[in-house]
Amino acid sequence: MDARLRALNRFGLGARPGERSRVGDPRDWLKAQLTGDPPQLATTPATATEIADALLALRRAAAGGTDQDRAEARRRLMRIAVEEQRTALTERIRSGRPFVERLVAFWSNHLCVSGQSKLPVVVLAGSYERDVIRRHVLGRFEDMVLASARHPAMLFYLDNYLSIGPGSPAAQRGPQRQGARRGLNENYARELLELHTLGVDGGYTQDDVIELARALTGWTIAGLRGPAAAAVARGRRRARQQMQERSDGSIGFVFQEVLHEPGERTLLGRRYPQSGAAQAEAMIRDLCHNPATARFVARKLVTHFVSDEPPAAAVDRIADVFRRTEGDLRAVSEALVDLPEAWSEESRKFRTPQDWLVAVLRALEIPEANNRLAPSLRQLRQPLWSPPSPKGYGDTTQEWADPDSLLNRAELARSLARRVGRQRIEPRRLADVVDVPASDPLHTLLADTSIPADERIALLLASPAFQWR
Amino acid sequence: MDRRDFLRTVCMCYGGLATFGFPVVNFARVRQSGRFVFVLLRGGFDGLAAVVPYADPAYRAVRGALAFNTDELTTLDDTFALAPGLAPLHEFWERNELVVLHAMAIPFRTRSHFDGQAVLETGLDRPIGSSDGWLNRLLQVMPGERSGIAIASGMPRSLVGPHEVQTWSPAQLGVVEDAYLERLATLYRMDRELAGRFEAALQQQDLVGEEETARAGAPRGGITPLMQAAARILRQNNGPNVAAVEFSGWDTHANQGVAGGALDRLLGQLAEGLVAFRTEMGDAWSDTTVVVMTEFGRTVRPNGTRGTDHGTAGAGFIIGPRLARSAVIADWPSLADNALYEGRDLRPTLDTRAVLKGAIAGTFDLTAAQADRVFPGSDGVRGLYEMFR
Repeated sequence: MDARLRALNRFGLGARPGERSRVGDPRDWLKAQLTGDPPQLATTPATATEIADALLALRRAAAGGTDQDRAEARRRLMRIAVEEQRTALTERIRSGRPFVERLVAFWSNHLCVSGQSKLPVVVLAGSYERDVIRRHVLGRFEDMVLASARHPAMLFYLDNYLSIGPGSPAAQRGPQRQGARRGLNENYARELLELHTLGVDGGYTQDDVIELARALTGWTIAGLRGPAAAAVARGRRRARQQMQERSDGSIGFVFQEVLHEPGERTLLGRRYPQSGAAQAEAMIRDLCHNPATARFVARKLVTHFVSDEPPAAAVDRIADVFRRTEGDLRAVSEALVDLPEAWSEESRKFRTPQDWLVAVLRALEIPEANNRLAPSLRQLRQPLWSPPSPKGYGDTTQEWADPDSLLNRAELARSLARRVGRQRIEPRRLADVVDVPASDPLHTLLADTSIPADERIALLLASPAFQWR
Repeated sequence: MDRRDFLRTVCMCYGGLATFGFPVVNFARVRQSGRFVFVLLRGGFDGLAAVVPYADPAYRAVRGALAFNTDELTTLDDTFALAPGLAPLHEFWERNELVVLHAMAIPFRTRSHFDGQAVLETGLDRPIGSSDGWLNRLLQVMPGERSGIAIASGMPRSLVGPHEVQTWSPAQLGVVEDAYLERLATLYRMDRELAGRFEAALQQQDLVGEEETARAGAPRGGITPLMQAAARILRQNNGPNVAAVEFSGWDTHANQGVAGGALDRLLGQLAEGLVAFRTEMGDAWSDTTVVVMTEFGRTVRPNGTRGTDHGTAGAGFIIGPRLARSAVIADWPSLADNALYEGRDLRPTLDTRAVLKGAIAGTFDLTAAQADRVFPGSDGVRGLYEMFR
């Protein structure tokens, strides 16, 4: 096993030809990437205000515009979404701190939002990854989770922006609708417990879900006089009048006291006095410090970086660092590098489609994402920021190495290689990015000049050796 | 050499050594009769919005804004009716090819999608992380030549296990040379974990046929194209006996609507897909059974955002010509406040395993003892064997 390739492929986003000779000590190379501020994106495709404008334009077009207005508003949103995806994927392709980019992708998937069904989430997902995940990727876990709870992408995605305390002033003043339990939506509260913090076996009950959902009422989105605010305040004129708007007109988090459920709450046996937005914030901080959260997060990290069957000792070590440092993600990430299990001969992980495609582009030394990348990720069934459920994408062999997916990769590799074939890449040079013994038939094939050069490149990219990291 | 010849070569040379255990098609052996399709609606679909208990005295009050007008519904009997979107299913009902199940739930009480799907897909009575899927266990228990396929992105849990299965999903396939695939196959044979998977992929390509693949096109998330593609795979003489299909989008926390609303439109797509499936099956429909299930039902009352939250019991369907007659099977617990499970959900009175045991036994002529082996620990749950002829 070549530890330098292990560092580049297991913890990074894939080696470039010749890169391994520049790594030096593999653990030092990885840890050096964790120092300093998180890497920033080259450009910011859209500001919060631009996104809000685009969403409002769609709302206006939907309410009274022509088909052409609607199509134009939709195109404007999609332009932002496409630009966000391109910027984020380009960073993965060209990053000199690929370990940090892997961590960004990991946490972005852990606290995922998905554009699969909600248009606002499609357009907000880039800003979510930038402002929630990237900003805190080397910071504290609780700050990341809190930022996530307040970001409009998450508020939209898991419906919390619509949730209203049944005993809140807004609900009390609104018209009574027969038979309807007023206001509460427990979607976000449940996933916050089950998927973001404690884990499904973390020891919470249905009552805990409801108590957390009640505390989270009033955590909503400002700056959307369109669909969100209307849905929240429909039929509740006074509530609407009291809703705060952000002075700069941008879209963002706001705590609406009039929507908030009054009273003391109990979560996991602990009592939380009524303190407005501070009530749910205290709950979220406590959830992040709960030992069940440390175990759940540690297991997921070790599964991601070490093995589909995470060794118990490794999980314990990461959970211990997470607890001791109160969720310091820089320290936790360093501890991952120090796990002996990550460097063992037997340990291997199957690349997810996103990681495979990014590794392909890095191996071919392609400088940036183009507009073919997103459709390719769809074909590989892992489009950016669009997992099928709030659980996010899986990352095990079982989930990704099905026969159909292998064939998909073989075919995509072939068509990519055809396109770069003209650039006269020497196929044998690419062998430098995979860890295969000299006796492997891959070397013979790469050297076989009776096979067209572009096909040999494809063989490397579609080979089993390149599927593992 | 075209793809088909190449595959035959692979079979001849390596079929006997294949570690993956993919059943090499052998025309001399007898394929087990019967075809079974398990359609999983991921996300927890709202049984009360699909199969409406219009005659329950509490219905209108408790459903509030989500209650349908009776004249929009397709009546099945004096208690239940199909939602407007599901009206096309009445065609099955009239032919005695539809059993509707209600107040049905998995045997484990959870409101987690992931635990619920794990229990439904493993066929056990609680979520166990590492367990195999029940469709795979079915393939192990069935006699004769048999195979399974996932018509899905990735391998659904229900099919995971020692009996090898194929996966198929429509992809925009580029043209690749057979020589390239052949060279890749030599590389994959060196990788113990992936060797069989790659070989199975090549054989699956052959089974569907490139012409069929092209014709299936690339459905953009639609149910009908995928169901039609599934039918083209299943109807072949040597096609799979067991298929898993899945659709998501049922987690309707907000604005699920009534007639013509978001959920009803989705139900319309489902019904249309099921009808298209039968048409596409042609003669092969005669020994086919389709079961439609979800991981849990949803809250009886609308939530604060005109949707419904995760609940407990819900509805499901069995469709197929081997059913004895059309019926609604429900030990109806009522929607009255004091009848609700934990004061909020439809109370479960029917175990999904009782239904599934009846459906597989009826489709493949299995004994009750065989059906019990597919669902370990379910001996005390009597299968609904009388549903089938």
